[in-house]
Amino acid sequence: MKRKAIWALRHGAGVIITIIFLLPLYWIFTASLRQVGLPPPTSIEWWPQSPTLDNYPFIFDLLPMTRYIRNSLIVVATAVPITVFVASIAGFGMSQEEDLWRRRLLITSVILLMVPGASVWLFRFQILRWLGWIDTLWALIAPAFAAGNPLFVLLFFWSYRRIPAEIHEAARLDGASAWLIWWKMARPLVRPTTVTVIVLSFVMYWSDFVSPVLYVFRTELYTLPIGLQLLKQLNPTNWPLLMAAAAVITLPVLLLFIFLQRSFLSDLSIANLLDQN
Amino acid sequence: MLKEQLTRFSTRKLSVRMPYSAQIRFFLLPYLFGTLILVIIPAVATALIAFTDYKAVGLPTFVGLANFRQLMGSALVRLSLRNSVIYLLLAVPLRLLGALTLALLLQHRRRFFGLYRAAVYIPTVIPEAAYALLWLWIFNPVYGPLNLFLGWLGLPAPAWLTEPTTARLAIVILSLFQIGEGFVVLLAGLQNIPRSFYESAKVDGANSWQSFWQITLPLLSPWLMLLTFRDLIMSLQNTFTPSFMITYGGPYYATTFAPLLIYELAFDYFELGLAAALLILTYVLLGLIVMGIINIVGLGGSADEA
Repeated sequence: MKRKAIWALRHGAGVIITIIFLLPLYWIFTASLRQVGLPPPTSIEWWPQSPTLDNYPFIFDLLPMTRYIRNSLIVVATAVPITVFVASIAGFGMSQEEDLWRRRLLITSVILLMVPGASVWLFRFQILRWLGWIDTLWALIAPAFAAGNPLFVLLFFWSYRRIPAEIHEAARLDGASAWLIWWKMARPLVRPTTVTVIVLSFVMYWSDFVSPVLYVFRTELYTLPIGLQLLKQLNPTNWPLLMAAAAVITLPVLLLFIFLQRSFLSDLSIANLLDQN
Repeated sequence: MLKEQLTRFSTRKLSVRMPYSAQIRFFLLPYLFGTLILVIIPAVATALIAFTDYKAVGLPTFVGLANFRQLMGSALVRLSLRNSVIYLLLAVPLRLLGALTLALLLQHRRRFFGLYRAAVYIPTVIPEAAYALLWLWIFNPVYGPLNLFLGWLGLPAPAWLTEPTTARLAIVILSLFQIGEGFVVLLAGLQNIPRSFYESAKVDGANSWQSFWQITLPLLSPWLMLLTFRDLIMSLQNTFTPSFMITYGGPYYATTFAPLLIYELAFDYFELGLAAALLILTYVLLGLIVMGIINIVGLGGSADEA
């Protein structure tokens, strides 16, 4: 009896937490359904009166949202595969290195994890300018060539480390190249980590607000987050419109997260963050 | 015949004779090269130009500590550093406490707990521009849902973003919903604690409060330390989008945090030397906070107080 009461309390806490953390999302979507021009609510409104979807087509009339979406999609479609590839091979390489180098690479990656974005803003601009990438979408894709985030490399490293060494040693004796071993044997075994990195890097590039602010100036290259900022400047108080735009940018990451969350939150490679090797 | 043998020999030599350890080096090349070009060189260059006068065109000229003197002489810079420290001292402990509490409450492997955990992570994946807009609306003093809700409860309705103290508080509050990363790391940490530890504590007659202080917290402390350091660095960085999109540093510079000022110095005034110096000042300050923490709890984090 007492045990049952404890579990009821735990589930109660879980439900309350769920409601609190879903409220921001709920407010984005319900506020986007409110009719433009209605007087603002004077008491808390859990569901708008006479909800409408008209705000969604309207933001596409106000701003070239289709172009912003296309730019964001180009960035994500290019950057995510490059990120996953670079991080995966780097993680595999690290897992195959001898002890001394593995340790050095590991420490370097953990230090890199602590390097804040602002410290590279200024000079990344110069380097991107020398590369001729300023004011192109490549400026937004660029981080992919450094695996996006050292965390992604570490996640892959920890997963590859868990594969028993005998599995590829046999293949090595048969004369298989490292590429073949990575592609045919190791890569399929770390699929949950690949999914995690796909989700995390998708969110990273899709949401990136700072890079386009710093490195992209031509209006036809703006991405969705900048579109949101423009819409806010055009209609600073038109909340239904702003929330409709916020919903448009949130929906893809939300769907991706919901579809892939099972393997994402169950992946324990993060658990190895503090492992010494 | 001979030709065929020769080609076979040369392809063999190319594909097989390269030792495995050398092949492995190629796997690391893109990551290391990309990181060198995009992260390490910019970070080192930034540290160097902090001691120069550099305005994006022409060559930097060495000026020693002049940038730092100029910055410390500015009331706005001192205010932005003070704002940053206040923000960090409020936001980081609350974020960690939140992540820890949620991880403890939701760690069970039972039905529905997976859903509760997913819900906690969801605000973290909302793109920051959309997230900033959402909170701009939530904090609207007249018809934002927060004040309507407080009114419904019969509580006073603060002016939030239009009043300095509450504006700072607002930026802290909105950061408390995006704690998915710390939450997941602590969940993983909790799962790594062997069940048997708790069972033997139970045999010894420890209640759950005691086993939390004696087992959970000490074993979790390395994770908590790592998260504290990462959160200190990332939280400061993450004030940029809210302070840029929601308040633009106002009201009365109450939400002018160091990253916003660095952005203005570098990209509005092209004072790259000054911007770099401010960046260094910020990290010296962060270093002092980190050292303070290490002094108080000790590096191994022997956090058991009982």
